[in-house]
Amino acid sequence: MNDNHLKERENILSEANKARWDLGIDLHDTVIESIYEDASRIARKTVKQKGEKAAYALDLRIDKIVTSRWLGFPIMFLLLALVFWLTVTGANYPSGLLASFLIDYMHPILKGAAASIHMPWWLDGVLIDGAYLAMAWVIAVMLPPMAIFFPLFTLLEDLGYLPRVAFNMDSLFRKAGAHGKQALTMSMGFGCNAAGVIAARVIDSPRERLIAIITNNFSLCNGRWPTQILIASIFIGGLVPAQLASVVSAGAVVGIAVLGIFFSLVVSWGLSKSVLRGEASAFSLELPPYRPPRIWQTLYTSLIDRTIIVLWRAVIFAVPAGIVIWLVANVHIGELSLAEYFIQWSNPFAFVFGLNGVILLAYIIAIPANEIVIPTILMLTVLITGASGVGAGTGVIFELNSVGDTANILHAGGWTLLTGLNLMLFSLLHNPCSTTIYTIFKETRSVKWTVVSTFLPIVLGFMVCFFTTQIWYLFFV
Amino acid sequence: MITLLTVGIQSGILFFFGVVVVLIIFWIFWPKKGLIALFSKIKMNNQRVQLEDALKYLFDCEYNKNLCNMNSIAGNLNISDDSASQLIERLLVLGLVTMDDNTISLTDTGRSYSLRVIRVHRIWERYLADETSVAQADWHNEADRIEHFVTQEDTEKLAAQMGNPVFDPHGDPIPSIDGELPEPKGKLLSNLKKGVTGRIIHIEDEPRSIYEQLVVEGLYPGMQVYVTDVDKGKTTFIANGDECTLTPLFASQITVELLSGTVPLAPKYELLSSLAIGEKAEIAGISPNCRGQQRRRLMDLGVVAGSLVSAEMKSASGDPIGYRVMGATIGIRKTQADLIFVHKKNDTNE
Repeated sequence: MNDNHLKERENILSEANKARWDLGIDLHDTVIESIYEDASRIARKTVKQKGEKAAYALDLRIDKIVTSRWLGFPIMFLLLALVFWLTVTGANYPSGLLASFLIDYMHPILKGAAASIHMPWWLDGVLIDGAYLAMAWVIAVMLPPMAIFFPLFTLLEDLGYLPRVAFNMDSLFRKAGAHGKQALTMSMGFGCNAAGVIAARVIDSPRERLIAIITNNFSLCNGRWPTQILIASIFIGGLVPAQLASVVSAGAVVGIAVLGIFFSLVVSWGLSKSVLRGEASAFSLELPPYRPPRIWQTLYTSLIDRTIIVLWRAVIFAVPAGIVIWLVANVHIGELSLAEYFIQWSNPFAFVFGLNGVILLAYIIAIPANEIVIPTILMLTVLITGASGVGAGTGVIFELNSVGDTANILHAGGWTLLTGLNLMLFSLLHNPCSTTIYTIFKETRSVKWTVVSTFLPIVLGFMVCFFTTQIWYLFFV
Repeated sequence: MITLLTVGIQSGILFFFGVVVVLIIFWIFWPKKGLIALFSKIKMNNQRVQLEDALKYLFDCEYNKNLCNMNSIAGNLNISDDSASQLIERLLVLGLVTMDDNTISLTDTGRSYSLRVIRVHRIWERYLADETSVAQADWHNEADRIEHFVTQEDTEKLAAQMGNPVFDPHGDPIPSIDGELPEPKGKLLSNLKKGVTGRIIHIEDEPRSIYEQLVVEGLYPGMQVYVTDVDKGKTTFIANGDECTLTPLFASQITVELLSGTVPLAPKYELLSSLAIGEKAEIAGISPNCRGQQRRRLMDLGVVAGSLVSAEMKSASGDPIGYRVMGATIGIRKTQADLIFVHKKNDTNE
C-alpha cells in the first residue's frame, strides 16, 4: 500500500516536472504577478485609507532638504561629527571614573587580599596583574564610548535619517563596487569594528555585504583613536611650535582616519573586481518614512544588542590575553624573559618596516583590544630598557597621565619620528582585534573570509610601513 | 638601533626588493592571467574533460538531428585530428559510442552519460545566472569548467536549493534526473516567413562572439518578435518596438516559438530610468536580464507588472533615484532602472 502511494507520488511529481517544460521560463513571474493582483483586488475591496497623504507630504519635504545637492552632504557631516564629538567628550569622565575604581582602587585591594591569604607570587601575578587588569582596562576604556555612541547612532537610524545617508553616499560606493549602506557600517566602524561588522547585516546583497565586512577594519575604531592622538602629539606635534602642536597633531590623526576611508574604498574596489567578482550582487534601498524615535526601546536594544555583546566578547578575550601578557614578561629562559627573546629576535625584521620588536609583540599579545596596545608597549619598553621608577612591575600594563613622561619612555626605547609615524600607520592597517575577528566568523560563517579579513590589512600595513620607511631612508638618511 | 645605520645603507636594495615582492604578489593573484589562473587552465586539459566534452557535443548533434564525424569533433573541441582519433578510440573502447562509416553516434550508455554531464552543465549555468554576478557571456565557459569537477550530489543539492529549475538561462531545457528531455520545440528565426509573430524561446550561447552581439542587441528568451521582412536571407523583425535586422548566421542562433492566431503587437516600453522627478508610470515588467536575487527583491518590493510607480527624489549625487511604489519609497540605481519597463501615464490625477 505504502509502496503504491510512493509510486503514485513519484509519478505525479515527474508529470508536474514535465509540465514545467511546457509552461515556459516565465512561470515564476506569472505566479508572483497573480499573487499581487489578487492581493490588491482584496485590498481595494476591504481596506480604507485616510490621512496618509499629508504625512507623506511632510516626509517628502524633509527628504528634499536632506537629499538636496547642496545641503545633503553638509548636513550629513555635521550630524556625524556631532555624534563623534558627543561620544569623545561624553566618554572622558565615566571612563576616568571606571579606571580609577577598577584599576586605581580595586587593583591594590585585590593585591592586598591575595597577600593576606599568602597566594604564591606567580598565581597572584597571573590572576590579578594579568587577567584582572586586562579585563578591567578593557571595560574602563571600551564601555563608556560604546554606551554613548551606539544609542546615538541607533537613534539616528530609528529616526529614519541613516537610510538617507546611504541614499546620498551610494554613488561613491557604487563606483567602488560597494553598497551605499556601507557608509553606515563604516561610520559604525568608527565606533567599534565588531559592531560595524554586525551592522553589515543591513546589506542584503552577499557580495556587497562581504566587502563591507572585510573593509570595516579600515575605519579607525574607538580603541585606536587614543593611540593615534597620543603618538601624534608626541612625535608630530613635537615638530612644530607649541602653540600649533595640538592643531597639527589633530590634523595628523584626521589624516590617518581619511587615509583609512581611502583604503576602505580602494580595497572595496579591488575586492569587487577580483576575488569577489563572481559573488551575487543586488541593490535595494528602502527609504522608510520618518518617525519619532522610540527612545527607551532604542536605548535598550543598543545597550543589549550592541554594547553588551561586544563588551562581553572583548572581556572573554581579554582575560586569557592578560595572562599571556603577564607570562611573556615573567617567564624566563636563562637570563632573559620570553618577551625579551622575542623582541631581540624580531628587531632586525621589524626595523625593515620602521617598527620595532616591542610594537610587533604588543600587537600580537594585545589582540583582544586595541585599547591595551599602548599600555602593553609601555610595559614592554620599560622591561627591555630596564628603566626604574616607572611602571607598576614586570608584566603589569600601565599608562601615564603625562604625555611628556610617556614620550620619555618611548625615546628611551629608541623611538624616532619615523617609528611614531609607522606606528600610526600600522595602528590603522593591522589585523582586527580578536573580538572583531570572532564577529566576522560569526557573521560570515566562513573560515576563508575570516582569514582574508584578518591578514589583508596586515599585509597592507607591512607594505605601507615598508615603503614609508625605505623612502624615508632614501631621502633623509 | 645599531642596525639603523646598516639598514640605511641597504635601503636602496631593500626598496627594490620590496617592489619585486609586491609585483610577484600581484602576478600570482591577477585574475585571468596570473599564476593561479594559469594552473586552473592546465588542470582543464586532461583526458576526462575532453571525453565529457566530446560526449556533450555528440548528444547535441543527435538532439538537433545532425551527423557527426571525427573532423567535426576535432573542430568543436579545438584539438588536432590526431588527438581526436585517439579520443574516439577511447570512447569506442569504453563502449560509449559506435562508429558506422565515419559517422559517430552515441550508445545508450554514452547517451545517459552525456545527459548527466548536460544536466550538471545547465544547472550550473542557471546557478551562475541567478545566484552570482558572473558576466552573461562567461556563464557557458564557467559552467564548462565547473561541470567536470563537481560531484553529482553537490549539483543535485544545488538544484534542490534553486527549486529544481527546468530551463537553463538560455532557454534550453535541463534534462531530468532520469535523463528525460523534451523534444526540441520551435523554429529557427532564420526560417520564419514574413508576417509571423512568435516568442523567442532559446538563444544559442556558442560561438561566444555571436552570442555576445545578440545580447548587446537586447534580445532575450521570452521576447515577442514580429517578422516584417525577409530579404536575401536577411530577417528583419520588430522586437519591443525596435526594428532589428539579422544575417542568416545570426538569425539561426535564435529559436522562436510561433504564436497562433492574431496576436496584438506588444507595445513599446519605456525605461523606468527615463521618468523625470514627479512623473508617474505603470510598470510593464522587468527585463529578463535582471535575474536572481535582484529580480526577487524588486518583485518583493512591489515592482510587478500593473503597479503604479512615480519618481520622487534624486539623491544628493544624482543616482540612485527614489521611486514610490505601493506606498513605499525605494532607492533604485540607474543601472537597475534601465532594466524595468514602464508605460508612462500622462494624466496627473490617479
